[in-house]
Amino acid sequence: MSKRLSITLLTAPAMIVLLGVFLIPMLLMLMLSFQDENEAFSLKNYALFVQDPFYVEILWRTIRVSLWTVLASLVLGYPVAMYMAQATGKMRGIVTMLILAPHLISVVIRNFGWVVVLGEKGWINESLVALGIIDQPLRLLYNELGVVIGLTDSFIAYMVLALATSMYAIDPSLNKAASILGASRVRTFFTVTLPLSLPGIIAGTTLVFSLSMSAFVTPALMGGTSVKVMPVIAYEQIMATLNWPLGAALAFLLLGSTIVLVTLYTKLIETKRYKEVFAS
Amino acid sequence: MKKINILGLITFLVLLLVNLPFLVIIPSSFTAAGYLAFPPEGFSWQWYSMILDRPEFIDSLWTSLKLAAITAVLATFLGTLAAFALSKYKFRGSGVLNALMLSPLTVPSLIIGISALLFFTRIGIAGTFTGLLLAHILISIPYVVRLVLTGLSSFDYTLEKAGYMLGAHPFRVFWDITLPLLRPAIVSGMIFSFLTSFDNVTVSLFLVAPDTTTLPLAIFTYMQETLDPLVASISSVVILLSLVFIILLEKVYGLERLFGLNSQSH
Repeated sequence: MSKRLSITLLTAPAMIVLLGVFLIPMLLMLMLSFQDENEAFSLKNYALFVQDPFYVEILWRTIRVSLWTVLASLVLGYPVAMYMAQATGKMRGIVTMLILAPHLISVVIRNFGWVVVLGEKGWINESLVALGIIDQPLRLLYNELGVVIGLTDSFIAYMVLALATSMYAIDPSLNKAASILGASRVRTFFTVTLPLSLPGIIAGTTLVFSLSMSAFVTPALMGGTSVKVMPVIAYEQIMATLNWPLGAALAFLLLGSTIVLVTLYTKLIETKRYKEVFAS
Repeated sequence: MKKINILGLITFLVLLLVNLPFLVIIPSSFTAAGYLAFPPEGFSWQWYSMILDRPEFIDSLWTSLKLAAITAVLATFLGTLAAFALSKYKFRGSGVLNALMLSPLTVPSLIIGISALLFFTRIGIAGTFTGLLLAHILISIPYVVRLVLTGLSSFDYTLEKAGYMLGAHPFRVFWDITLPLLRPAIVSGMIFSFLTSFDNVTVSLFLVAPDTTTLPLAIFTYMQETLDPLVASISSVVILLSLVFIILLEKVYGLERLFGLNSQSH
């Protein structure tokens, strides 16, 4: 068999699926987003978005919720990754298993668990009331806080993975050198560990941000009807209102704004100094 | 030493939080009360026997299992073939092809779901099992390609050559030499595809019809209307099933390696 024929035969089956379920449909969706009711080319769906404060507010809410999620998963994930980098053998394996395994179980089910914990008659509220700390149950669910908790739980594994990967690459002798030179642990952290984990921080934050922006299930289950985000209204336009062009446009607007924000962020943080250190 | 303890404490708390949903769901599925409560009140199997009275959950479980199993086999087959071509041959456009194979990972599920619905409606397979299956294969292919490519990156092609020189037929070389050496990567690709398909909601959401609903979607829909211990008992079943596959994955391949945390590949 010639080399060309082998390559074609081996890659064709996967390429057919990729073309038929991914590339062609995406192109169709893009074209559809530029159509009006009469199937004529129009910027109407995109214009609607810019003009209507309702949609702008929803995009802003989506960004806000995603930013909080990034912050929460960075603050909670960083110590875990640091611990994983310091731990050895069995302990590291156990931590890895316990942080990654839940991530492989359905997000619907994890959200359901949080609903049981956070609800008005949930475990946290019942305990706080029983202890006499509060009189009225706190509203932890069906608001932005609930969505941020759910999203952080969903995506923290990605953050820890990104951070741990960059921390495993830090030479432990650098820490030793710093402490021999008399640096305190805090100082070592700020001058050695933190700067050298920057690639992991960038990777983790951009990943979690992108995932949070397009998350549908968690906002739908833990945000309720009052916390609508972009994916939820795109879904409603497609499945309930049956305004497919607008739904498609909303989805692309979401993707576009995510890409723009992530690009700006990486440009901002990957300064000249950063490039000097990590260029190679 | 003190700092490690603080780190360890925070790590423990985060691990507790991440696993809290399961620690709450499983006990509350055994409640004797008629409503969701944690800690559960009393003990009973009633919510498990009640699953049997709900055909939509039983049916969707079968749909999910069937879908995940077929997805796993087909995605692994297609992905492995493609990974072979990418690894074995150097050709123009192999970089582009590689990026293409992995691209469904980088595009939000929401967009994959919507676009598949639009296209499938045009060609008449929206709401069919076939359409759902194709979409699940698509989202599983990147994982298989990546895993098998990693397996192939440390593959010693001289072993294949030795086989040829000893006069073996190419198929025999493949079957007796190549395949056994790649088995861990291929099997873990299959398990991972199974889990990906079994747990998927966002893509399926757009592609299911009432008679092809998957279990996570049935739970999703039920949860939006009612919250009772029935969700807990069904969720416990799913957790247990997923756990079997996760442990399998850990045994065959190792989760650390699967997620690229272990730099030594063998």
